[in-house]
Amino acid sequence: MQHRRHRIAASAAAALLMLLPGAWLSPPAHSAEPVNPLSGFSIGGFNVGKMIDAAKDAQGLGDISEPQEIQIGESVAAGLLGAAPLDTNAQEEAYVNNVGRWLAIFSGRPDLPWHFGIIETESVNAFATPGGNIFITRGLMQRIHTESELAGVLGHEMAHVVQKHHLADIKKHSTQGLFLDLAQIRGGGGLRGDAARAFARVGLETYARGLSREDELEADAIGVVIAARAGYEPYGLASVLQTLATVPSSDADMALLLKTHPSPNDRLVALEQKLPPWFDTLAKPNPALARFNQTFKPSSASN
Amino acid sequence: MRRSLALLCLALAASVVGAEPATTIRAVDLKARAASDAKTIASLPINTSVDLVRREGAWVQLRSGKDLGWAKLFDIRLAGATTGPTKGGSNSLGDVLGLASGQRGASVTTGVRGLDEDMLRRAQPNAAEFDKLVSYASTKEQVDAFLKAGNLQTRTVEWLK
Repeated sequence: MQHRRHRIAASAAAALLMLLPGAWLSPPAHSAEPVNPLSGFSIGGFNVGKMIDAAKDAQGLGDISEPQEIQIGESVAAGLLGAAPLDTNAQEEAYVNNVGRWLAIFSGRPDLPWHFGIIETESVNAFATPGGNIFITRGLMQRIHTESELAGVLGHEMAHVVQKHHLADIKKHSTQGLFLDLAQIRGGGGLRGDAARAFARVGLETYARGLSREDELEADAIGVVIAARAGYEPYGLASVLQTLATVPSSDADMALLLKTHPSPNDRLVALEQKLPPWFDTLAKPNPALARFNQTFKPSSASN
Repeated sequence: MRRSLALLCLALAASVVGAEPATTIRAVDLKARAASDAKTIASLPINTSVDLVRREGAWVQLRSGKDLGWAKLFDIRLAGATTGPTKGGSNSLGDVLGLASGQRGASVTTGVRGLDEDMLRRAQPNAAEFDKLVSYASTKEQVDAFLKAGNLQTRTVEWLK
């Protein structure tokens, strides 16, 4: 019995290893292209949903190149880090980066320079910059109980990047001249120069103002799929929203999140309507993920 | 040994911080197992106060009086939910876990100010901190080891409509 169990585990590991080398450089074919969602599952009766265009260009962002997007994102990230510094616990940062980098493979934009960080603020929130920098606050980490919940939150933020939600808003609120200055970021000024400072200002204003309700609900729907593709049970985000719905709206740590997002309850209602019933079959218990509690012990909240 | 370790892990994964008070937001059939085709052991009306015993993916195990059974995660809201059908009392989940900001010792001891609009508007870029962010990025080998240890199995899932 034990021997057999071991062999099953070994062959599963071997299968994963075979998948990996290619997976790192480019997304598995199934996540890049519309595919039959029934393959691999006996989940008859599912009505195939329409593919969301992973990198829709209906927003007129075609004139912003990916290197430019990345430079803008780095500027905004440096700006946000000026408001709240990184958690200095390398083990926690590594954990979030491991989950995030694995999820990114299934995001539709696996080749962006993805970075993930916990930032030290009691505020309950998470942020994404163009180009793939994702931040989650200490205040939100304190309310997350499992790796699947973390994956749900990171998937939501990743969806903002993939759909270029913030980039569109930044473009809308920037002058043409500012974009001409972009070259300066790489050309010498770097993240300490005037252009980076200007883009940081515009990007942080976007965080203060918030995206549209549609953008947020879309990010919820895309985020759960990214998490599900990566092997997480897809109800992690819903579970986090359940928790956030219990925090009184008068709580100062929730103020910015509530001002800039639909209420957790509204998001739960919208998410439930979008999730097809067969998603249940993706929610198998995974005891290996109990590792979350070793890195994020309840007491770590006060460190 | 291996088996007992697996059982221990399972117990850890399923553990929750005590039972959490919750409320049904619709009429709910409590199931004997976490499956739609399982036997219904009780029918709970909307706004029934229950205890959430544990979560398992799409399902939550609920205790209602003598009945212990399974419902969907979306069938309930945790007590204390401000937009839910009922308000939690002073012993709501948030208070029990010390989540309400007034009771969270951490927010007092760390002295880290909340990130509000004013702070966002006044922030100056911190390039050194961004370099630190980049330094935390995982290598391919680290991610490989992490997902292997997590037994994460990739799946084909269509974008939702």
